[in-house]
Amino acid sequence: MTILRHTPKGEIQERSALVINPAKTCQPIGAMYAALGIHGCLPHSHGSQGCCSYHRSTLTRHYKDPVMASTSSFTEGTAVFGGQANLLTALQTIFSVYDPKVVAIHTTCLSETIGDDVPQIAKKAKEEGKVPEGKVVFHANTPSYTGTHVTGYANMVQSMVKYLTQSTDETSEHAAILPGWVEPSDMREIKRIVSLLGVEYVMFPDTDGVFDAPMTGKHVFYPKGGAKLEDIARGGDAKHSFALGHVATTAASEELTKLHKVPGTVVDLPIGIAATDRFIEAMRAVYGFEVPESLNDERGKLVDLLSDMEQYLWGRKVAIFGDPDQLIALTEFLGTMGMVVRHIVTGTESKYIEARLKEVNPEANIKVGGDMFHLHQLMKNEPVDLLIGNTYGKYMARDEDVPFLRSGFPILDRQGHQHFPTVGYMGGIRLVEQILTLIMDRIDRDVEEHKLELQM
Amino acid sequence: MRKIAIYGKGGIGKSTTTQNTVAALAEVGKSVMVVGCDPKADSTRLLLNGLAQKTVLDTLREEGEDVELDDILKPGFLGTLCTESGGPEPGVGCAGRGIITSINLLEQLGAYEKDLDYTFYDVLGDVVCGGFAMPIREGKAQEIYIVVSGEMMAMYAANNICKGIVKYAEAGGVRLGGLICNSRKTDREDELIEALAAKLGTQMIHFIPRHNDVQRAEINKKTVIDWNDKCEQAEEYRTLARKIDENQMFVIPKPLAIEELETLLMEYGLAA
Amino acid sequence: MIEQRPDAQTAKQELVSMYPAKLAKKRATQVVVNDVPESGIVPEILVNSRTAPGIISQRGCTYAGCKGVIMGPTRDIVNIVHGPIGCSFYAWLTRRNMTLPPTPQSENFMMYAFSTDLKEENIVFGGEKKLDAAIQEAYDLFHPKAISVFSTCPVGLIGDDIHASAKRMKEKLGINVFAFSCEGYKGVSQSAGHHIANNQLFKHVVGLDDEIRGSRKFRVNLLGEYNIGGDAFEIDEIFKRCGFELVATFSGNSTYGSFANSHTADLNMVMCHRSINYVAEMMEKKYGIPWIKVNFVSASGTAKSLRKMAAYFEDQDLMDRVEAVIEEEMAKVEVQRRKYAARTRGKTAMLFVGGSRAHHYQELFKELEMKVLAAGYEFAHRDDYEGRRVLGTIKIDADSRNIEELHVEADPEKFRARVDSEAEARLAARGFKFKDYNGMMPEMDPNTLIIDDISARDTEKLIEMWKPDVFCAGIKEKFVVQKMGVPCKQLHNYDVGGPYNAFRGAVNFYRDIDRMVNSPVWKLTLAPWQESAEPALEASVA
Repeated sequence: MTILRHTPKGEIQERSALVINPAKTCQPIGAMYAALGIHGCLPHSHGSQGCCSYHRSTLTRHYKDPVMASTSSFTEGTAVFGGQANLLTALQTIFSVYDPKVVAIHTTCLSETIGDDVPQIAKKAKEEGKVPEGKVVFHANTPSYTGTHVTGYANMVQSMVKYLTQSTDETSEHAAILPGWVEPSDMREIKRIVSLLGVEYVMFPDTDGVFDAPMTGKHVFYPKGGAKLEDIARGGDAKHSFALGHVATTAASEELTKLHKVPGTVVDLPIGIAATDRFIEAMRAVYGFEVPESLNDERGKLVDLLSDMEQYLWGRKVAIFGDPDQLIALTEFLGTMGMVVRHIVTGTESKYIEARLKEVNPEANIKVGGDMFHLHQLMKNEPVDLLIGNTYGKYMARDEDVPFLRSGFPILDRQGHQHFPTVGYMGGIRLVEQILTLIMDRIDRDVEEHKLELQM
Repeated sequence: MRKIAIYGKGGIGKSTTTQNTVAALAEVGKSVMVVGCDPKADSTRLLLNGLAQKTVLDTLREEGEDVELDDILKPGFLGTLCTESGGPEPGVGCAGRGIITSINLLEQLGAYEKDLDYTFYDVLGDVVCGGFAMPIREGKAQEIYIVVSGEMMAMYAANNICKGIVKYAEAGGVRLGGLICNSRKTDREDELIEALAAKLGTQMIHFIPRHNDVQRAEINKKTVIDWNDKCEQAEEYRTLARKIDENQMFVIPKPLAIEELETLLMEYGLAA
Repeated sequence: MIEQRPDAQTAKQELVSMYPAKLAKKRATQVVVNDVPESGIVPEILVNSRTAPGIISQRGCTYAGCKGVIMGPTRDIVNIVHGPIGCSFYAWLTRRNMTLPPTPQSENFMMYAFSTDLKEENIVFGGEKKLDAAIQEAYDLFHPKAISVFSTCPVGLIGDDIHASAKRMKEKLGINVFAFSCEGYKGVSQSAGHHIANNQLFKHVVGLDDEIRGSRKFRVNLLGEYNIGGDAFEIDEIFKRCGFELVATFSGNSTYGSFANSHTADLNMVMCHRSINYVAEMMEKKYGIPWIKVNFVSASGTAKSLRKMAAYFEDQDLMDRVEAVIEEEMAKVEVQRRKYAARTRGKTAMLFVGGSRAHHYQELFKELEMKVLAAGYEFAHRDDYEGRRVLGTIKIDADSRNIEELHVEADPEKFRARVDSEAEARLAARGFKFKDYNGMMPEMDPNTLIIDDISARDTEKLIEMWKPDVFCAGIKEKFVVQKMGVPCKQLHNYDVGGPYNAFRGAVNFYRDIDRMVNSPVWKLTLAPWQESAEPALEASVA
């Protein structure tokens, strides 16, 4: 019996209007995630309360940790008369009840369509004394009908640069690291790598210690983690910025150049050997350091693992869906492993992404701006040995009896993603280990009894 | 660069006034961009000599993310730069959102980074929703001129627009530069508009008499200066352009209560 | 322990005083110290009122109530969300309502998310044509019996006429196509969405199929049961054993056909009063089907509800069968109950969830011999708190007024009074009551706290003050509560547990609550060096 029993095999009918099983969601959740990467920040959703509720629920299910955010709670009257009154009240309530250091407002499709002028309202709130001295309110426009959740993340990070970075005339040596939408564990790993390279840095956003908070018997409303305002401010004085992931961070990197003349390099997310190499090379080009032995060792261990186990990976077919920055780096890495990426789907539409994915995977079926229904049809027509994607892939994986690696957002049914990185060489080791386990478990399950191998 | 938005009741002659004034500014060597913010997309027709301008929104719809500035910004009379936001058919979608979308796109594409003396926004009708306020938000336009006539509804609309300005003036810094009276030959029209301007705390920056040359030029798909630079009406627009160029009076208007507006009309004999 | 807790009045003051003056004044009417006088008239509470902007609330939106709650559990309708992608994405399989199609080939669209994925150009130029096209594409791919359309916030603003689109496509395709104007900004919570869903289901589906299938006797509908974690399966099984013919459930494990046929039942049982009483009322007016309130959460509630159903039909065989089932099941439950209650007795609970669950689940805590200290709903109305006696006195505010109230009259052909005046008198004499719901407050202890639309700040403060052994809420609260060292039982998705309905479900709940309140994990929070400055072990000397 199949679960997705209405997904047909055979000729794929192109759809122009109906999306089935989306491989994306909307902007505001990305903005909320990014904003929580600022220490002491309360994200505020300027729209109906359902948006905020859905975003908090989804992030909570992904992390199994508290996710705090407030909303303007629009009603029909607000939709007609505009959201100014609600936002003014909200800011007053937020500062008196939840006392954040920063409120990061993002818009929704509703407030965008009405055309609320958020900076104007925020300014008014300040003038009316609704924002206490020393507190920061800033905003990003995140209309849900443009782009995807990744765009929302990108817009919020760009706004951090716009509102929160400052430059003094002093020249500094430190780097500004702008991570793409990755897990708290990945943010932690990126910091560890940059520290190993001996480069002083500021990084924002930084969700390390936000969504993976320890159990202490107390609910800490603003967890320990997150980029501090004073660190973000120093971004304007950085010698160079390194933005990881083109879709999620190019806007912020360019903003930093525009505002404070900080030169920037945008690289792919450092997932896999080649992309991590490029990240380190990009930093080396600016700082000219010698890469420490310990990092060489990590790289060597990853290469060692691959060379030891290449026979289990070579030629195996993969279908993958997810967010563009991840897909570019991850499919490149799968290629490095000798695997064959057959089907790629991302919900984010972008010519750049399409070109990059084609460049990395010239033979694959690539659908940019596609959905999981389409991917499933591709898998039915040409089966694969491994499916990679967020939790919603489990239905396809079960129907097609394909090993399934959970990767991306959201992961609603497995743990570990917030603790164990997939970026860098150590992250690469984890990815290879996960993929090997899936494939080898499958071999052990399917092999005839007399051929079951003790050693593999 | 000075950024100017022209508002006014529908059909009052905003587009005509804007284009003729822009032509006069161009004549004296000013570099001007006109952004039409009306779904009808007729704000640059005269400057472009009737050339059908593909709107920002239509282009966006067809080209997706690959829009380039040249696709949507066309050179018109004496090097003026013309762009039309465009928008939906009447009765569907959201024209206000359309204006937000297209101004955002123009910004992204760097339209405002060009070396310009003036940007003019020609905005449809009243400030009916957030989208129609887009040109005066976030410091986009700093000065506003309202085209008005001695007709009751035109004045009513002008007063409403002032209410919109007040909202954004407090936070965004936009100011009212004056009323432009586009005459409909009503009784004591100049005095009436002078009085209205005084009540609002602004000035009637110019009184444009009604003249058939405007229509003649329009039929030829030209601004008056383009059509016949020697005619009297051309001089009127030159005067208006000069006054705007030299204008120093920028205020936060004081909108009138509806009773005050009615009293004003009584006083100047409309009701007589 | 109890002595150390501030009393209810003090606790209320503490909670209310955290807010700015104006809001505090309002909160003081939304936080009530319970009092249950002889008259049964409990204190009035302000509910179903707007959440103050900026407050971190449990509440969601109208769309969530309509698409997610009421229409989500039906397996054979293609539900297309007309809006930007997010609304469809977030309501995709997130509510754990299970469904069990009769065959591997039977229609089941519940694992699919359908959206028109509106883009900026659709907002500017209108999205109605795209909606027509989406309905056509869904039809071409799946040929479903019915397609429904859900409106989202921006659609309401740009004025796409989703009902016109539905009508057009219904005529074109020859299947039922209907739409819900459930924009998120309508109403103050999910509750408005329930009402909108009830209305459209009633208008467009109920009553379309008159054929009587199955037994002609003891035909019932169960309203307001959503089959979270398989709850409805438990109830279905008990109904079968007792001899009830379940025509339709609104809407757990349901089908389009069952709704269309539901007017052939002779009794409606209302479980979640908040979300579904509208359909019950309308079916009574139009078709003559009376309704009673039931509760299948808890063993005692199940027994009571089954007896009430049997009593209505006045059939001795039925009553005997029901008694036999109750006797058999209760014997099994009681063994387990005693075992677990020995481990949970005297412990305390708080419930802040939904529009009926905060009430229903108190029965289970009673069976565990635990004490409920405080409770409240997320989106209920006054009748759910104070009982239906207050119905006539509820003020209609602007937010309720914009939800359509259908005018329903008796159907000239299909109306059939199920109970004549004689039967009514007989039933009344035995104390049988129709449409009877006393609400949550009269069944709670005096000096408990009743809090409507609890906020994140209230939650923390309340736990700090009263330190319950278990807290019941939803996903957004779950890990806040647990970070404080208190286990949190989700009563929306049961923490992937359940079923909790009927007899076996009750035992599942006992076991889960015992596990949660007695789990060793809550004792691990502090490391030895955090508990005592002195090392617990002495250093060994080599």
